Amino acid sequence: MKRIVVVAAVLAFSAGAVVAQQDQVKQTQTMMKDNGKNAGALAAIVKGEKPYDQPTVDAALAQFEETAKKLPTLFPESIKGHKFEGDYSPSPKIWEDKAGFEQHVASFGKAVADSKGKIKNLDTLKAELSIIGKQCGGCHETFRVKKG
Amino acid sequence: MLRRILILAILAGIAGFGAFWWLTIPATVAASALPVYRPDVANGLATFNAGGCSSCHAVPKQDDRTRLGGGLAIPSPFGTFYAPNISPDQNDGIGRWTEADFVTAVMKGTSPSGTHYFPAFPYTSYQHARIEDVRDLFAYLKTLPPVAGKVRGHDLPFPFDIRRNVGIWKLLFMDIKPLVADAGRSAQWNRGAYLVNGFGHCAECHSPRNFLGGIVNAQRFAGGPNPEGEGWVPNITQKGVSDWSAKDIAYFLESGQTPDGDSAGGSMVRVIKNTSQLSPDDRDAIADYIKSLPPVDGPPRPKKEAKES
Repeated sequence: MKRIVVVAAVLAFSAGAVVAQQDQVKQTQTMMKDNGKNAGALAAIVKGEKPYDQPTVDAALAQFEETAKKLPTLFPESIKGHKFEGDYSPSPKIWEDKAGFEQHVASFGKAVADSKGKIKNLDTLKAELSIIGKQCGGCHETFRVKKG
Repeated sequence: MLRRILILAILAGIAGFGAFWWLTIPATVAASALPVYRPDVANGLATFNAGGCSSCHAVPKQDDRTRLGGGLAIPSPFGTFYAPNISPDQNDGIGRWTEADFVTAVMKGTSPSGTHYFPAFPYTSYQHARIEDVRDLFAYLKTLPPVAGKVRGHDLPFPFDIRRNVGIWKLLFMDIKPLVADAGRSAQWNRGAYLVNGFGHCAECHSPRNFLGGIVNAQRFAGGPNPEGEGWVPNITQKGVSDWSAKDIAYFLESGQTPDGDSAGGSMVRVIKNTSQLSPDDRDAIADYIKSLPPVDGPPRPKKEAKES
């Protein structure tokens, strides 16, 4: 009887852990997708599809900043090897080269912080978005894998 | 009787080897075949960016795209290649190469010592370049800083390490038909076709390959498993990017940003570093051509992985 309780408790606990992990993964994916939406909105302005709009810019930057803060905490050891749904998965390099990953995130955060207050019109947006965009790509180059 | 068979076998062996040797003679371009020409260094730089030379040949883990000391590891199903030093260094780079050596290397895939290069060097695409562009590129490379240091040899298991075999590979997969301009299309489209199929060498990654590493022509540009390892290379025919406008493609090549705000990842990041340096006209030309590729189904993608604990 005791044994059953222990087994059940362990099962419940690990199931809970799995659910928590999945929540975490979902959260990360939602956050990155929101970043994409924001970056896409800025790109639409740069491409001339939409008129320049300061609130759109400010909202995007605020979200990028939030992302830069959270990113280093979103890939704990427990997620390593976890199967992600969707088109992308984190590269094992996130854990193999933790310092490198964190350095990339910090550099992204700095680019965002630097551009805050600088973007006031189409030309400044063009210039700054290109700098921030390079940061996105710089990290995705190494630490993200496209699955299909 | 036995002796006769043995002699016949030896003769057949010699004949076979002779045929193999003859079939695999590396092609070259003679210096006498190059007319007098004044190279245009500015166009050489444009060619350098279109060709993505620095993506593989720049010294890894530093930001200077013009330090072409090589050393990047390029994994493949056949082993790992190491990009050589193509800086103008006299000893370790191409400082002592003649122009004919360079044209031969880029357009025929043959080294100055007369051996085949492995097709990790995309001469299968570069062969379609205009010879003037190649000569301009050589002149441009000469202006870059020499970088000392020989790069280690490739790490390939037998039999892939035998360069002579590449001669057979070239017979099978190196399409020597020149790129012919399509008079029915615009000048912009033709420029795009030239950039994509020549120096741009887009098909080298964006096409599936057969078990010998040759591009599956019927599925050119239809994507496939990443030859460098993990992941998947996208289909860039209209099957894959029909929802991208030509403007989206051009903007992606400039910024690395997809229409839905995502950013390029993997090797494409290195490609964007080149295409962002091209002229807007050239990017529009590439976009125009890519947009015209008929929809082709690529190899089946791996199933989306199910949740697993």
